[in-house]
Amino acid sequence: MRHIELKTIITLTRKNFILYIKKGPVLIFGLLFPFFMLISWILGREISSDQIFIGIVSMTSFFTATAISPVILPIETREKSLERLLAAPISLVEILLGITLASTIYSFVISTIITGIFLIVYPFLLTSVIAGLMIFFGIFLMGLLGSLLALLVSAKPTDQTSDIMVLVNLVKFPLLFLGGVFIPLKDLTSYSSIINLISPLTYLTELLRGCINEISVISPGMNILILCSWIVLLFALNYVVHKKTMPKRFSEAVGGKKVMKN
Amino acid sequence: MSLSKKIALTTANLTKSFGTLIAVDNVSFTIEEGSIVGVLGPNGAGKTTMIRLITGIFELESTSQVKINSSDLTHSPKLLKKEFGIVPEVSNAFLDFSVWQNLTFAGTIYGLSKAQIKEKAQELLKRFDLENKIHDKTKTLSEGLKQRLNVCLALLHNPSIIILDEPMSGLDPFSVDIVRNQILELKREGKTILLTTHNMQEAQKVCDRVLIMNKGKIIADQSPEDLLKKIKPYTNLSFKINTLLSQEQNNELKSIFQFIELKNDQVNIVSSNPLRDIKKFNDFVEKYDLSVSNFKLIESTLEEVFIHLIKNDTLGGVGNETH
Repeated sequence: MRHIELKTIITLTRKNFILYIKKGPVLIFGLLFPFFMLISWILGREISSDQIFIGIVSMTSFFTATAISPVILPIETREKSLERLLAAPISLVEILLGITLASTIYSFVISTIITGIFLIVYPFLLTSVIAGLMIFFGIFLMGLLGSLLALLVSAKPTDQTSDIMVLVNLVKFPLLFLGGVFIPLKDLTSYSSIINLISPLTYLTELLRGCINEISVISPGMNILILCSWIVLLFALNYVVHKKTMPKRFSEAVGGKKVMKN
Repeated sequence: MSLSKKIALTTANLTKSFGTLIAVDNVSFTIEEGSIVGVLGPNGAGKTTMIRLITGIFELESTSQVKINSSDLTHSPKLLKKEFGIVPEVSNAFLDFSVWQNLTFAGTIYGLSKAQIKEKAQELLKRFDLENKIHDKTKTLSEGLKQRLNVCLALLHNPSIIILDEPMSGLDPFSVDIVRNQILELKREGKTILLTTHNMQEAQKVCDRVLIMNKGKIIADQSPEDLLKKIKPYTNLSFKINTLLSQEQNNELKSIFQFIELKNDQVNIVSSNPLRDIKKFNDFVEKYDLSVSNFKLIESTLEEVFIHLIKNDTLGGVGNETH
């Protein structure tokens, strides 16, 4: 029997998508939060359509990607269904991929709709078919990256969704502010631009800039390469960390209580 | 152990630590095909951790081994997991899925085709009287119905070994009776069953063999009858004295018997040697020419054996009760 089976991953992805898409934290942090943040950013300011496009696409992609993946493991720990999964012929890699893909699809679908609407309203932003494809590929990569990043944070063996969402926001906001959404990399001093390179969101905003003929410091190809490297690194980290913390979900302080069921 | 029976499950050197706490300490045992084995132990004894090791929920250490029907599946966790059907103490079905969605999800994960899932699920739903709940969300089911769904989920892929973790915990007597009959029915079908329980009476009723665990180790491994015969630590002797005893007589009785309870005309003696103590009590009765009625000799139960073993183990007195 193979360690990774596509059918198992698809079944898990489907399950995650059906069960968690309507959960409160997913709707709040994935849709409402970025929506009101964008409104407060745009209203009353003179911002170019290019800048609004980059802001909306990158924020939607990043926020939606980090909405589903961190809530699944705490909920399934609390409801004991995680134990059902671990007792079934499913490997840890398949569990992680099932969560990541559900989150990525959610992010990609919503971000694609938003991007599509924006490009219909402002068709002049789209310079070529290749550029259009690269925009959607970048959104997909950010969906994967954001999902993996939030999943990594959810490795803390807790059964409380709120514990994880606090941590996710603690990681997410600095990355958003450093991600070139509000101030492009080209406008930063060399010192602050180095700090911005820490945020993976920088590579999406740079990619979007390059695709709509804005000035970008990093080439689109390099942005895609760096985003892919982040994804590989985050998946490897997820595997190592979750492998270590998974048994603790059944044996250590879960939700602030000492639980040692025997 | 009969040589003619096949061994369904063999475990060797199961060990699991959480930091400095050794939850399961070098546990080895075998289970015969078609038998019911109960795992008894106080809270924190390591029962659930042991089951999580056997079923592949926790990773096995390099020295540990799990064999199913003599095939070593220690390093094939996916194949190992397919051999088990687990009924947990608390329902762990997906609460926002309907009964049918839970069954189809489990069937797909265990590699059944759509037709196989439909056929088997319908059969189980009928057998466990869940047919009219098929579209109900799991979270809306009562605890008893959730437990029945758990049994359906455990049996869906036709596992060779069924593991029941505290199957009667929190159930009303009616549901306990249903679960007990289900367990015995599964045995009749030839399934091998491993169950953990705190309920000694149930273990005595359904188990062919019991493993008593304490502090991560198996401290006894025998049939309930053999354990009772071998250990039988105490017998309760109960009498009714038809005459009111004087204070001196009361004191004399207390000096004769170490564990005695005197309540009005009722005398209860906890005895490790019933014949000797009955004779002593008879001497006392003859001495004062008392009239005695309602004599009862209450046999040891598995519960008493359990308490005796755990106490002895805690005090370091058990050494030869595991085989």
